[in-house]
Amino acid sequence: MDLQALWGLLLTGLMRGSVYALMAVGLSLIFGVMNVPQFAHGEFYMLGAYVAYFTFHKFGLNPLLTIIVAALSGFLAGALMEKAVLFPLHRRQKEQWVMNTFLLTVGISFVMQNGAQALWGSNYLGITHYWQGSIQLTKDMAIPFDRAISFIIAIVAILAFWLFLGRTRMGRAIRAAAQDETGAMLVGIDLDRVRTLTFALGAMLAAIAGASLLSMNPAHPTMGREPLYKSWVVVIVGGLGNIGAAIPAGFLVGMLETLTSYFLGASWQNVVSLSIIIVILLFKPNGIFASEVKGIWER
Amino acid sequence: MNRNLLEVKKVNAGYGFLQILRDVSFNVLEGEFVALLGPNGSGKTTTLRTITGLIRPTGGTINFEGQSIGGCKTNEITRRGISFISEDSNLFLAMSVHENLLLGAHSTGTKSQVAGWLESVFDLFPGLRDRRTQLAGTLSGGQRKMLGIGRGLMSKPRLLLVDEPSLGLAPNLIPQVFAALRSLNQSGLAILLVEQNVKTTLQIAKRGYVLEQGYIALQGASTDLLETAYVQKSYLGK
Repeated sequence: MDLQALWGLLLTGLMRGSVYALMAVGLSLIFGVMNVPQFAHGEFYMLGAYVAYFTFHKFGLNPLLTIIVAALSGFLAGALMEKAVLFPLHRRQKEQWVMNTFLLTVGISFVMQNGAQALWGSNYLGITHYWQGSIQLTKDMAIPFDRAISFIIAIVAILAFWLFLGRTRMGRAIRAAAQDETGAMLVGIDLDRVRTLTFALGAMLAAIAGASLLSMNPAHPTMGREPLYKSWVVVIVGGLGNIGAAIPAGFLVGMLETLTSYFLGASWQNVVSLSIIIVILLFKPNGIFASEVKGIWER
Repeated sequence: MNRNLLEVKKVNAGYGFLQILRDVSFNVLEGEFVALLGPNGSGKTTTLRTITGLIRPTGGTINFEGQSIGGCKTNEITRRGISFISEDSNLFLAMSVHENLLLGAHSTGTKSQVAGWLESVFDLFPGLRDRRTQLAGTLSGGQRKMLGIGRGLMSKPRLLLVDEPSLGLAPNLIPQVFAALRSLNQSGLAILLVEQNVKTTLQIAKRGYVLEQGYIALQGASTDLLETAYVQKSYLGK
């Protein structure tokens, strides 16, 4: 194996990792702030892909605008789901919350999958590319522009989200709510609003991932399953509810899978990454980056 | 005469089927320093939690500045001008002192106003100024208490509810906390203080109420309360 192939592997791993990180950040945020194990996360990825397909292919919008439209739809759909389902449940019953919301989100994921099938059929709806062309890395290795740009979009989205959490009044309120709900209420934070916003933002990040990868993963009703499982793996490796940890963990899992599929074949990638996760959890049951203090990104 | 700031009338409250407060009535005038005393489990903390909306009253009325706040959400009550410094302060332990204070002003104030309020908190508790970048979780018990009070002041309240500020504090720090409360009161802030430390409390509060098993058992001016056989016997061991 030469140096150039290694370079190629590294890039592929990074790109795959960026999407995992993007998905996992949303999942981690929702768990950290709301204590909801979001099992319909993949369906927002799916929704992002469908919305992107229709806006790009049917209405011919420019690719960046397409992804923005998909992001906004993800945000709105997430807000709607929180207000229509989670908020009423939170009002009525806070006991067994994690189990109840687990069942609820699994149920909603089925409803959304079947809804998509009823609305748009079970065919794969894809596009050949957003941006034509590719970057020639080595003689026999090229990265399509779409892949490279989806990587940049993932990085920009993660960075923007990071700045939002760290620098803005609302972002600070979200972090506060994750650390101490009573304290957050006492300083005047409207927890109901924070919860809706959190859920919507998480859904938006998943929709961005689905939309930006459309040319590689065409839209179809059950496309969200794989990314859902992957992001759960990432979140568990990093430590539940810790956003900062989801980012390196996302890249770690992406890199691992890329290396496995290169050396052992693609059918092994899940086996190896899941085995390594079992090993990690045996020795660090709270995830690699587990911290003492509860917080969604603080060390 | 001073107007009524907080008026609690025949309030009932509790947790689930467990009723704790029974027809509790009392009031706090503008700028007044009032103490709420009573043995453990008598409902002092429950009273404060009910005023701030952390517990919903099952009966009675709570008025603040003439408007009913019974059943309002906690963040709404804070926005209206009541700040509650809970027993463990409910600080954001993984955030810096500075961010904790900024969060105190979450629902109010422009950037420059907030900067000014920060300065006045640092003037009141100079120890916090040097630790502004330190995480709240790394502070000592006394510093946490001061940060808790400081954060509560950042929402510019007109009424401060303080729950057991001397609990868990080193004895040499207690006078400092009481001095801070006294100076806040002298600058016009009304304070409702819950304390075990009866003697010190009745020395700085003007009036007091004694809760006993969820009822108001005694009330009056601090000097009179100190003289009653009840307080003498139960708290001062005479």
